[in-house]
Order: sequence, then structure tokens, then C-alpha cells
Amino acid sequence: MSATPANSTGSFVLLEVGKRRFALSASHVAELAPPVRLHTFPHESPLVVGVIVRRGRIVPVYDVAPVLTGRSSGTHRFYLIASLYFGRTAEPSAIPLQGECELATGEVFSPAADAPPYISATLVTNGERIPVLDLEALVTQSAAPSSAATGEALS
Amino acid sequence: MKIAPHDASKPRRRAAPEAMILFSTGRQLFAIAAQAVQEIRSTDGLASAAVEISAPDFAKVTHFFERNHRNWFIVNACAHFCLPVTRPMLVLILRQARAALLVDHIERMAEISAVYSLPRAFSGEERRWYRGLAYIDDSVIPVLDPAGVLTPEEIARLDFHSASLLAEREFEGAANS
Repeated sequence: MSATPANSTGSFVLLEVGKRRFALSASHVAELAPPVRLHTFPHESPLVVGVIVRRGRIVPVYDVAPVLTGRSSGTHRFYLIASLYFGRTAEPSAIPLQGECELATGEVFSPAADAPPYISATLVTNGERIPVLDLEALVTQSAAPSSAATGEALS
Repeated sequence: MKIAPHDASKPRRRAAPEAMILFSTGRQLFAIAAQAVQEIRSTDGLASAAVEISAPDFAKVTHFFERNHRNWFIVNACAHFCLPVTRPMLVLILRQARAALLVDHIERMAEISAVYSLPRAFSGEERRWYRGLAYIDDSVIPVLDPAGVLTPEEIARLDFHSASLLAEREFEGAANS
């Protein structure tokens, strides 16, 4: 990452996807939910693997691992429930996670010039640089899982 | 960070009960409003009346049959939902569209109080396939939209194609006699 000056500071949830760490704005995160039953049915929406029932609502589940790491997430320990905006409407959405989550604060920098569009910034916390996810950009991009552009740009 | 406890609450129910037929096709369970189905026939029972059709761009439409001087088009549900094709046993003849669905089995009837909107995360053809989602016995089941099986434009094209097919057969029959 270049020596871009810090734009701001903020609270983030750090999550592990396929042994890589990403940050998500804490304001988007509602809760961590246990690995309840995934209900599946035919559809054609990329990244969506099914739905879960949480707090009386049907919540779509996105497997973001193929885009972020090039691999399916496989077994998971819990779901991170975050708000995803479709226009002005927020929809609770679940992301299966295998690793730990933690809350962190830090300075936010511009993303690397070659970062994929779903990386909106870089969080610097405890000397570590962590890409900040833009969930809307991530799920709306129509890239096929095999074209996971992630790797090099985020290493 | 703590994980929230298991969630015992279920989708909230709102409206008056609606009778649903739960059917399976391609090892998937679907629901359709009982009111949307005019008749359920076995594939054997309809075989003698059905004419095979192979219309371009309509791989899911396998046959048609005549009823009240109009053609009804038989759609393979597996092909409609892009599922691996199985051997269907039943035909659901729909009420609101001149279409019938080839399905594997009827599982049972169920009464539901609400059809929940399909989350916006679903942005593909499924928005046309489903009215929404039902929550029945701890399972989320998609509720088929009968209007999404064949659109009026598709039926018009199939009408044209089936009429051509019948005219061709009539001509061939006349030529052979």
C-alpha cells in the first residue's frame, strides 16, 4: 500500500475468510448467528447459496469465499449477519464464516490502486493492513467464482 | 465477539391461510397454491392426448394438448428450474395460464398463513419463477408463480409453433391417404 494519508478512523469487524482477514464496517454488522440450517432451492443469483431463518426473517446467505479467496467456504462455524443495501432498502444478509471475528478500530486509508472494486479502503490496526470490504460491490459484481480477482491484489 | 444464541422464533405469520400443494421435482420441494391448479393427472393418463413438440428456444416445453379448442403446453418442471431432469409421473394443469407442469410427486397439502417476499439478494430468473417463499414445518419452500411458467408472449409463440406443427401433420396425412 502506498503512503496515502489516513482518511478517517472507525470501528470494524475483522473476519476471516479462507485464512485471510477482511474488515467490515461495524455499522453494517447486526450480529453473529450460530450455524442454523441452510435452506436451498433453485435460483440463478451468483454468490447466494440459500437462506436461513433468523429472528423471524428469511435471510439470504452469500458465500463470498469464492470471490475473496477463490475457494468455496466449506464448513462454517457461524454466520455474520450484515445489512446490505439495495438502493435505500437494507436487507439482512448472512455470510458464513469459519474463523474468529473481532472488533477493531484503526485508521482508514484509500485502497491500493490495483484493489478490486469490492475493496473500499484499507484499515490499519495494530500494524496490520486489512482490506475493508464493500459488501454491496462484492455481491453485485457478476464475476464468476473462478475469476476471483482477489489474490494478488490483496496479498 | 459473542455469537447470538440459537433463534427459536420463526417467520411471523400475517395473512389468511392459503392451501398449498407441495410437490417435488428433481429432488427439490416446491409449493404451489392449490387454487392455481385446475387438475392433477398422471403422465400416462395424458399421454394419448398429448402431442410432442420441439419448439426452438423452448426446450422446457415437451408436449401440448387440446382442451376447449385451445392448446395447453406441458412444461418439464426440472427444465424450468434448471434442475437435472428426472422421470416425471404427474402433470399439474394450471388454472391461470395455458400451461401444465410435469413433476415427480405430490408430497402433501399444507396450509400456510403467509408467502414471504423473495429477498432482493435473488436477482435472476427466480424472481419470475417464484411468488415468494413459504415456511412450512421448519423448511423454507419456494412458492411457484404460475404466471412465470410461460408468459403470454411465450404462449403466443408456442401457439404459432403448435398450429404450424398440426397443419404440417394434416398435410402429411392428406398426402399419404
